[in-house]
Amino acid sequence: MTDGRAQTAEPQPTAEVTGERMLLQARGVTKRFEGLVANREIDFDVPLHKIVSIIGPNGAGKTTFFNQLTGIYPPSAGTITFADVDIVGLAPHQVAELGVARTYQNIRLFQNMTVVANVLVGRHVRMRGQWYQAILGSAGTRSEERTALERARELLELCGLRRSVEHQLAKNLPYGDQRRLEVARALASEPKLVLLDEPTAGMNPGETRQMTDFIGRLRRDLQLTILLIEHDMKVVMGVSERITVLDYGEKIAEGTPAEIRANPRVIEAYLGKQAHTA
Amino acid sequence: MRQASHLRGAAILGLWAGALMLYLSTVGIVLAFAERNTVTGVLTLGRVMLAVPPLAVGYVAARRIHAVGGPGSRLIGGTLAGAVGGGLLAIGLIIASAVDIREILVRVSSGLIDFVGFGQGAAIGAFLNIAFGAVLGLTGAALHAAPPRFRRPIVAGALGVVVMSMLEPFLRPRLQEFELGFLSRLLYESRGLSIASALVVFGIVAGAVVAWRPTRATVRRRLGAAGPEAQSTVRWASILVLILLLLSLPQLAGPLLSQVLVLVGLYVLLGLGLNIVVGYAGLLDLGYVAFYAVGSYLTALLTSPTSSLGWALPFWVALPIVVVGAAATGLFIGAPVLRLRGDYLAIVTLGFGEIARILFLSDALKPWFGGTQGILSVAPIFGVSAVDVPLLGWRLTGPTLTYYPLLLFCIVAAFVASRLKYSRTGRAWNAMREDEDVAEATGISTVNYKLLAFALGASVGCLGGAVFSTHLQSVFPGSFNILVSITVLAIVILGGMGSIPGVVVGALALIGLPELLREFAEFKLLVYGAVLVIMMLLRPEGLIPDYVRRRELHDEGTDPIAGTGAVGLPAGGGGAS
Repeated sequence: MTDGRAQTAEPQPTAEVTGERMLLQARGVTKRFEGLVANREIDFDVPLHKIVSIIGPNGAGKTTFFNQLTGIYPPSAGTITFADVDIVGLAPHQVAELGVARTYQNIRLFQNMTVVANVLVGRHVRMRGQWYQAILGSAGTRSEERTALERARELLELCGLRRSVEHQLAKNLPYGDQRRLEVARALASEPKLVLLDEPTAGMNPGETRQMTDFIGRLRRDLQLTILLIEHDMKVVMGVSERITVLDYGEKIAEGTPAEIRANPRVIEAYLGKQAHTA
Repeated sequence: MRQASHLRGAAILGLWAGALMLYLSTVGIVLAFAERNTVTGVLTLGRVMLAVPPLAVGYVAARRIHAVGGPGSRLIGGTLAGAVGGGLLAIGLIIASAVDIREILVRVSSGLIDFVGFGQGAAIGAFLNIAFGAVLGLTGAALHAAPPRFRRPIVAGALGVVVMSMLEPFLRPRLQEFELGFLSRLLYESRGLSIASALVVFGIVAGAVVAWRPTRATVRRRLGAAGPEAQSTVRWASILVLILLLLSLPQLAGPLLSQVLVLVGLYVLLGLGLNIVVGYAGLLDLGYVAFYAVGSYLTALLTSPTSSLGWALPFWVALPIVVVGAAATGLFIGAPVLRLRGDYLAIVTLGFGEIARILFLSDALKPWFGGTQGILSVAPIFGVSAVDVPLLGWRLTGPTLTYYPLLLFCIVAAFVASRLKYSRTGRAWNAMREDEDVAEATGISTVNYKLLAFALGASVGCLGGAVFSTHLQSVFPGSFNILVSITVLAIVILGGMGSIPGVVVGALALIGLPELLREFAEFKLLVYGAVLVIMMLLRPEGLIPDYVRRRELHDEGTDPIAGTGAVGLPAGGGGAS
């Protein structure tokens, strides 16, 4: 633990040299599941206001890494700092409160809640109304609810959901709209960092292009930092400024899309898995 | 070819109906109601029970065929389904009269055989059953074929007749009390409706249903045109009427029905509390009786002069302490089960419920809770056993007195529950119910919200316990068995999880109805089980689903087609959790 902390100080100068401020920094993150090493000594940075991607074949340890960033489980070793706060050991809801929001590979909406209620739940961390205030109907809580509702509607519109669906149950939405709603729910918490776990999974090429455009727009218009997980290389090449490649739980490459495309280890990981020995 | 498959489907439905009729007969339900006149000399409640299954399958068979077949095949299918049902019962009748099967099925008495066979012996009885089954199936199919504007009044009218006859034991003494004895003599004839009055009741109810829709439409149109000021006047006037009605209900209903009202009220309160835990937060608590017991015992302990504390506090002084104590119990029980989900949580809470009962029963704690003797002389709710209301000349005592504070508690609990529901807290609970991991990742502290749900649920439940002990003026551990937990859960599920009016309807159906039908007492559990299974299969979202009301509340001209779509889909996820 102390070892890991000492390491965090190390890359700071390089970040300053390049003039980038880091929103998220992971150093030496290792995750073991009873002997199986899912992540081995991963160093990983997400600069502010950038779109960064993690790619890798299925089973490369991407989601495990994601889950440590969001506090679902702590790393076996290493440190993770978000906005200069050490988040190792924090509960997921505390990480969310700091400004990390995410979407899920296989959509996980609150199915039996209405569309607008899903977005309002997303806003939970930015609201303060307590249960006794709700019972008493205090003026502060009521105005907070009104603001939240307005904001939720704006977000639905931003994400391309029609006003008429806001009182539908989430499960009754078509697939594409469910993906959009997940993004709206994530944005409702006014996050600094949005983690998108395979946001184009199950989409046709047209929808995929729409989604990648939308991701670019989010960064531009809302000043967000975005971390993307994909196993489809083509999707991330267009939008990301920086790509990290994982394979068998290890970071095998890092760089701009052009560098990644030319990297022999990446090509090997994607094309010749049999030849590759970790 | 297709015709044959329709008929086969109808015949299978008929077998279901037959099996149900055989079941109702052999467990003894039919005979228990055979003495209860619905229309004196024509129809008993037992007969009504045997008539409903073939009628229902006739209707369902017609509906299934409706998609593919013409009106003729619908009627044929319905008739066949009914006849097959009647046929199965007829076979049972013949077997039972030929061989003595009382060794196995103890309820198959000669009285039952006589009743099912219309007192005509096996052969004619069997024929009559098939014939009646066919006629009823045909009627069911015809009901389906009839346009809704005919179907609705007919069904409502028939229901009205059955309900009016069921109310006889309560209504007759009340009518006499209010010097309306002539009315009761007109209506009832030897414990059932007379033929003439049955026709009148049918006519009135059917007429009311016919008139209802156009009247409602007119009223809505007028109200819509009248502007907001008139609308709010009408709203307040109707609320006032409702309040007056609720306040005078015990006087109208009399002590007998008031006792039923108190029982229903207690379960409404428990249901509202459990609804927070199960309906809102999705925590399946099978030990809810623990909070009911804690409320009762704490109240008894604090208010009874003979309890070990001997403080003999007035009820209203003790109440805040009871609520705080129950909330603490909620936290105490909630804390160890925080990491448990679904089935595991259910099992552990089930255990907690039993532990609570056994603790109150135990010899170890006898100095505190009195063991099997319980605690006696609990203070009456207003310190006195009877209250005279000035001006109105009412003398409130027993159930008619308990009714009022109970009503107050129910209204407060419903208000609290509805305020919470549409708040940040309520949404956090719902999110947790839908997907605990995602809720946590969205920033909801699931630990805090689970504990809050347990504590608030316990506080509402303990109010029920407090009223219960002060109403009986004593507490015994025997009142707090697992059956209470199951009943309250059944109420919440029947009404619709998360739905506040659903709890009221559920309590009326599962507590009120069995009280009206005393013969049911013996079969209560059987009926609960059947109701739960049927609800889960046919309407898992409950009688009054949660989100229907939500739509009405937020009605901002969202398109009605989308609305019906949402309503038609059962909330499978919510039901399973």
